Amino acid sequence: MAVTQANISEAGAASDRVTRHLLADRLYHWLMAACVLTLLATAFLPIIGVKFEWLGLHWMTGVALSALVLIHIVRAVIWQDFWAMMIDRADLRNAWRRFAQTFGRKGAAPGKPGKYNVLQKLYHAGIAVLVLSIIATGLLMLLKIDTPLWRRNPYVLADYQWGWIYVVHGFAAMGLITMVMIHIYFALRPDEWRLTRSMFRGWMTRREFEEHHDRARWAADER
Amino acid sequence: MQLFRYSTSIYGGSDVLIGASWDLLPWFVLAGAVVIVLHAVFKAATSRRTDRIK
Ligand code: HEM
Ligand code: HEM
Repeated sequence: MAVTQANISEAGAASDRVTRHLLADRLYHWLMAACVLTLLATAFLPIIGVKFEWLGLHWMTGVALSALVLIHIVRAVIWQDFWAMMIDRADLRNAWRRFAQTFGRKGAAPGKPGKYNVLQKLYHAGIAVLVLSIIATGLLMLLKIDTPLWRRNPYVLADYQWGWIYVVHGFAAMGLITMVMIHIYFALRPDEWRLTRSMFRGWMTRREFEEHHDRARWAADER
Repeated sequence: MQLFRYSTSIYGGSDVLIGASWDLLPWFVLAGAVVIVLHAVFKAATSRRTDRIK
């Protein structure tokens, strides 16, 4: 089973902190979030009646998001623990036990999660599918518009093929609204404030780590 | 309710698919709102129950 490294900060005053998100990952999250929120706003404000020149800002932010996501994938595969975000058997077992417990059935208590719980992993998988489809279709749609860098050339695909590309871009965009609403709601809830705080400061306290995470599944690297 | 948008050809030919229908937008917002409200109500109800046990 893969075990993620949770680095303990250097000795001294900070020794009771467990690093959760490195600065690079926090920067990635917030830049990506800013891009997605800008793309949602530039796409949907005109549709609901707030008219402005949206297309330039939209496609440029889209290209920036594509670059960010590419960097994130390379980092996740090479330098981060890729398996920390993948659903494993222990997640499924815990999810079933939690479900049984919630609905009043007896049985073993669910174990603690590793770095992420099963709902966070599911959310990440859903976002990954939506964002990758929206990037793939968006990059193709650049061929449908004039920019300072190139002229439009829609003739590479047939009309009905463009139609399906716009359908995928549009449905993924609307799906992102639902997902982002739910994500922001969970981030603002006070019950798991340590996670929200960790996306700003990078760490959680050792006590929070011990209380909420299984050290065998998210091992603290005690150096 | 329409799922897709079509361009209506002025020459009377068959309509061409051009994208998703924006009539669906409120449903996606509603789906997000429903999950949020159900979760908030569920949490409020179950935390009250544990309060009573305490
Ligand atoms: C969160 C991400 C995104 C959202 C929510 C989003 C949403 C949308 C929506 C709703 C439209 C209107 C589509 C239609 O008329 O059927 C659109 C158009 C467009 N998007 Fe995106 N988009 C996103 C990402 C991207 C990316 C990554 C790119 C490119 C790299 C991109 C490039 C374009 C282009 C070029 C158009 C205009 C096509 C045209 O008018 O012919 N978008 N986007
Ligand atoms: C104001 C907006 C946002 C806030 C307050 C926020 C907050 C957070 C926080 C606190 C975490 C860390 C959770 C943890 O450490 O366990 C997180 C993770 C994450 N965020 Fe965001 N986020 C926002 C916008 C977005 C957007 C727009 C996206 C993508 C469309 C996104 C995608 C993710 C993903 C995929 C993760 C990792 C999975 C997870 O931990 O749930 N976030 N976010």
